[in-house]
Amino acid sequence: MAGEASTVSAPVKTGAASTGLAMRLLRRWGTILVIVIVGLLFAKLSPYFASVSNFNNILFSMIVSALVSMGLTFVVAAGSFDLSVGVVVTTASIVTALLIPDIGVAGAIIGGIVTACVIGLINGLLVTYARLSGIVSTLGMMFVLDGINQFLTNGYQVPVDYSETAFMYIGQGRVGPIAFPVIILAVVFIIGHIVSTRSKIGHYIGAVGDNPMAAYYSGIVVYRWVIVAFVMSSLFAGIGGVILTSISSSAQPVGGEGYLLEAFAAVFLGATILGKGKPHLLGTLLGVFFLYMVSSGMNMVGFSFAARQLFNGLVLILAVGANALLNREEIHLKFI
Amino acid sequence: MTALIELRDLRKDFSGVHVLKGISLSFRAGEIHGLLGENGAGKSTLIKILTGVYAPSSGEILMDGKPVTIHRPIDAHRAGLGAVYQDSELAGSFTVAENIVLGNEGGRLWINRKKIRRDAVDIMHQIGLDLDPDRRASTLTAAEMQMVTLATLFHRRYKMIILDEPTARLSAPETKMLFGLIARFREQGITIVYISHRLNEVKELCDRATILRDGMVSGTLERDEIDEDVVTQLMVNRSSAELDIGNAGMAREAVVLQLTGLATDRLRPLTLSVRAGEILGITGPLGAGMEQIERSLGGLGAYTGNITIDGLPHKLHSPSDARRAGIALIPEDRRKQALFPNLSLAENVSLPALGDLARLGLISNRSASSYAASVIERLGIYPDAPERPIRYFSGGNQQKAVIGKWLKRDARVYIFVEPTSGVDVGAIRQIYEIILGLAAAGAAVIVISTSVKELLALSETIAVIHHGAISAILPRENCTRDSLLAMTISAAVPAAVT
Repeated sequence: MAGEASTVSAPVKTGAASTGLAMRLLRRWGTILVIVIVGLLFAKLSPYFASVSNFNNILFSMIVSALVSMGLTFVVAAGSFDLSVGVVVTTASIVTALLIPDIGVAGAIIGGIVTACVIGLINGLLVTYARLSGIVSTLGMMFVLDGINQFLTNGYQVPVDYSETAFMYIGQGRVGPIAFPVIILAVVFIIGHIVSTRSKIGHYIGAVGDNPMAAYYSGIVVYRWVIVAFVMSSLFAGIGGVILTSISSSAQPVGGEGYLLEAFAAVFLGATILGKGKPHLLGTLLGVFFLYMVSSGMNMVGFSFAARQLFNGLVLILAVGANALLNREEIHLKFI
Repeated sequence: MTALIELRDLRKDFSGVHVLKGISLSFRAGEIHGLLGENGAGKSTLIKILTGVYAPSSGEILMDGKPVTIHRPIDAHRAGLGAVYQDSELAGSFTVAENIVLGNEGGRLWINRKKIRRDAVDIMHQIGLDLDPDRRASTLTAAEMQMVTLATLFHRRYKMIILDEPTARLSAPETKMLFGLIARFREQGITIVYISHRLNEVKELCDRATILRDGMVSGTLERDEIDEDVVTQLMVNRSSAELDIGNAGMAREAVVLQLTGLATDRLRPLTLSVRAGEILGITGPLGAGMEQIERSLGGLGAYTGNITIDGLPHKLHSPSDARRAGIALIPEDRRKQALFPNLSLAENVSLPALGDLARLGLISNRSASSYAASVIERLGIYPDAPERPIRYFSGGNQQKAVIGKWLKRDARVYIFVEPTSGVDVGAIRQIYEIILGLAAAGAAVIVISTSVKELLALSETIAVIHHGAISAILPRENCTRDSLLAMTISAAVPAAVT
């Protein structure tokens, strides 16, 4: 062997080490930098933008969207898609509103959330044991739930009686200057963050999403964690549904679908934050915040809704695209 | 020493073809056991049975004297049998430490990152693996990935680990490191089954070596008996009649393919030419550099040096460059790299020729299907069912379809990589005839293969590659099976042929 030592050199994979310091900093902080710059810009253009009350407004308006997006983060991290998250909000909202007169507030909240979890469980079973793709099964689930929502409500909103003050506090209460649902959001985020970074749930969901074969050979029960990811997604959407019912004192038969696209935008924007290149809860939360901050800022400066959509779309493409460029693989043949 | 695993009269048939014809073999606890054999001798089938990918047709596997059933990969995993294939399995976004203890973090729900790191460092220390535990796995080199994969097996407390050509992608110093690692495994009492084409590695590493031939065990040697002559003797299958097919010499004057100083990071500058009608066979141990020639000519990897076809220089940066230059690459992994499994035979065959079959940019179905019909007839694809999805065809007929994809384009250079791997015995001869026919029609043909028999049947010239350089290039008539086999398993060129 000795004489052969000099013949063939090992292939050197170009990794993070070869990219310059500036590039690395850009990769890590680039998206956050954009968020800060845009924020400062709005603050300069509108005197009302950089105020505590506006900050509270932004947080309040993003609550449901943030919950849905955080839930979706688990599914995307597991390497799948959940297109039913938006409609799950509506379903949980309707179930809660319908149950309150019959079994009381606590039971209704639990009922709404459990319903959502069961939907997540079915989604998870469909993509694992039934071998359907995540896109197809959750797309189907989206239509099914939309139908169920119409049946349950006959197409009319389901009002919640104003005497249910305890329930109304969930969405409308305040603790000092802070809206109570913002506190719920913060608590859910902190718990979710701990679960995703320090428990097997987050660790194994990440492993499964990264390389399911490696996870399988490591003795990880891959299906279990995919199912858990779908249940987490629906659980978060369910919490969002309950809060939405309380905020609007009623459940609407439609409207949840809107959260879906925002959630995907937030998750993919969030994946670029801190240069992780994969979905994570903090990133997702900042992603949602960015979308709502832009919405609020452009509104104050006087841009139209059309301009807001245009801007959000461009930021998403640029952030994810720049991240992909900084993170180049040799051959790129994935188009999903 | 007692036998950890004992195989008793293990047999495996694939639709009537006997691949394993009664293997009886034992692996002792804590030994490194080499497994040698020509391509098609049954090594890979045996490994797949041991790891639960295939179930044996008959025979028994005993573990510590008790029969065990291994019908699924998870059975093998539970029994403590693991394998490292060449594509190692790691989670790229996880760190080295996280990968090493993945699935074994301990605790019920919560994970402790400090403990993960500590456990991993402990394992790395035990097996002598010197790497930064906090590095992301995606930044590792191929060799490092291989070693981290080995480390992941360590914590799973496997009793036996099968390594399939683990050094194929490693350089000499990396190979040394890997051997150190394997020695540590043995010290821990883990049995290693080491599959390699490189005799010097087997000699250096293994306590015993078993040679397979034609689906049977032809001999098991103790360490000091492992010797080139003996091994060659045991490997060569004298009983099976030689295929009565051969290359009488069809090379014409004109050089079609000229490589000048072709080099990659794993291939030393190589200069060679292939004439019209010539079939050049290239062989060597896996990973010795043959695949670099294939990758460069197929436009799949960066290279330096010049490639000329019919006197015209070409730069091949992508597979479409190679196609335009008139190079047809028929890869080994047909299913992944050359076929569209759900498309029909006719669609597969006519796909690359669509440009020629189209009129005004529209594909004429009639000309596509008549083209497919002509290919089916010319190559004898069976069954004659152009509308059937290609995945329902046998390996041999799939291979013919891959060749058929190129016929319309009249490639000047054909490169075949392991053209008969996974091809049923009956179709091998037909494929050989097709390859010989392509050469007879004036194309330059390169056959890259690890089967000595195949090269002797097809080639007019044979080149042997070792460590990224040609160690011998000689006319077919100067080779015998024994001399060629000896050249491939050890870098030395026997005096008789030089």
